[in-house]
Amino acid sequence: MKQNRGIEALGERLRTRQIPLGWVIIAVVLILLIIVPFAWKDNSYYVHIVITIFIWGYMATAWGLVGQSGQLSFGHAAFMGIGAYTTGILYSQFGVTPWLGVFVAIGLATLGGVIIGIPTLRLRGVYFALATFAFGFIILMIVKNATYIGPVYIGGGAFLTLPRAGQAPAVFQFESKTPYYFMALAMLAGIVYLSHWFNRSRMGFYWTAIRGDQDAAESLGIDAAKYRLRAFLISCALTGLGGAFFMQYFRFFSPQKVLDVSQSIQIALIGIVGGWQSVFGPMIGGFIIVPVAELLRLNLGAFPAMSPIIYGIILMLFILFMPNGVNEPFMRGLNWLERKYWRPSQNANNENNEKVGRQ
Amino acid sequence: MAILEVNNLVKRFGGLVAVHDLDMTVNEGETLGLIGPNGAGKTTLFNMVAGYYRPDKGQVIFQDHDITGLKPYEVCRRGIGRTFQTTKPFLDISILENVVIGGFMQAHSTAEARRAAQDALDILELSDRVETLGSELTVPDRKRLEIARALATGAKLLLLDEPMAGLTPSEKGHASELLRKISGQGITLVIVEHDMKVVMTLCSRIILMDRGEKLLEGSPKEVSSDPRAITAYLGEEYTVSG
Repeated sequence: MKQNRGIEALGERLRTRQIPLGWVIIAVVLILLIIVPFAWKDNSYYVHIVITIFIWGYMATAWGLVGQSGQLSFGHAAFMGIGAYTTGILYSQFGVTPWLGVFVAIGLATLGGVIIGIPTLRLRGVYFALATFAFGFIILMIVKNATYIGPVYIGGGAFLTLPRAGQAPAVFQFESKTPYYFMALAMLAGIVYLSHWFNRSRMGFYWTAIRGDQDAAESLGIDAAKYRLRAFLISCALTGLGGAFFMQYFRFFSPQKVLDVSQSIQIALIGIVGGWQSVFGPMIGGFIIVPVAELLRLNLGAFPAMSPIIYGIILMLFILFMPNGVNEPFMRGLNWLERKYWRPSQNANNENNEKVGRQ
Repeated sequence: MAILEVNNLVKRFGGLVAVHDLDMTVNEGETLGLIGPNGAGKTTLFNMVAGYYRPDKGQVIFQDHDITGLKPYEVCRRGIGRTFQTTKPFLDISILENVVIGGFMQAHSTAEARRAAQDALDILELSDRVETLGSELTVPDRKRLEIARALATGAKLLLLDEPMAGLTPSEKGHASELLRKISGQGITLVIVEHDMKVVMTLCSRIILMDRGEKLLEGSPKEVSSDPRAITAYLGEEYTVSG
């Protein structure tokens, strides 16, 4: 009975258009995405592509938290790599289940963030972006060239693989792609919701202020360095978590795969194409760039040097002509639809409500 | 009773002494005008009080506490708000959200911050357009938004840097009214302003700065009739007879 009443109330709210169109679209997309692995049961390639979209959408959304506080990171592959290597090594060499290893991964990724964030986030300008780039490069060089760090074998640039365990949820390994699919979907939905929640919180308001004008933000009592550091550390921790999942899904790791500069650029590219200062933009970027990247790989596989060139051109075009990414026209279109068809009778005040460009 | 005291403040930029051995007292509740030609050091003084520049020498005392060299956000937390000569609204959010950010300073929750913001917006008469984006504001509205934002922090003292710049005469009249209203709430105001008509009518006391030093201090009448003020800044038209 109670459940029925809940459904009726939901129906009523939908009929009276009390629920914003954006939420309705999110719900529909989520339902479609839940159906995907069952609809494409026989085609694990498509399911794999969608999982890849989720993973990169997740990474870019985590990266975007730094953007929300007005900074750009060009070294996020370092935190992804730290996450991947930590869980991978802990499991393959020490038998630690990834369910526990992920906490160490998150801790180490955050520690990496502390090391470069504390000295550079106090400075204004490009220092932070440069430092992230340099940090990514240093981690890459260490992992590429060192065979051992203490007792830990890191391969000196070689491919490492995770021991296969078959269907073993206890060590986060599954025979089918479906569990990975739902885990990745949950992670993407979770991080986008988290980013949205941050955006509407006091800290999110502070990030908006710092991004808008640091002097003005500080005149209102906001410690810009502290809140930028928080954004960065949360981003590092979440990227470390993403890296751990990446590891479990692909089951092999190498510097090229999880630490390379091109991976940092890919995360930034997805974020910038989507909208680097927005909540939903980086996720939208994932849905655009990952299929494009896959098409490039399939069609230009014989010319591997072409992909970075095409990435570079896409990046330049976006920076020149759409610096706020596709999120901006996307949100404008959504607002237009909302005003025109979803809630045409609502007053102008509500239209303006939706216009607030912080999503 | 003094709310702000500035003692022997010095700021040098390379070989240039922007502020030289400046003493200033601001009394609680008063509206103090800070005037002087461009380059006199008025904004530099503001920037030192508000924490944007670290003084090379001297002391800034606010409500009996030494705040010299504190960071801008720490100065704000002590109760000093400021506006900027070139306004700095947060462009991609609404007026209300701009002011809520100020309101968080004294609030424990978003609802409290919203209330503080609403009060400030009411005083500045911006309540009818709270959803307008920062990027869509006219110059007078930008000026008002900045004051509202600073007020929402719960500031006891507001440093207003040229609040009338870029306003038409009628807008200036209205802005003066608003500042009087703020002053009526017990907020101390220090105003850097070039429009002498506004300064003369709004301020109870005036300090005239020239080349980094305090040249004169007194009531509007005293300052405007002093030959040194006329020579350094005001010109003959502001001579007050009798």
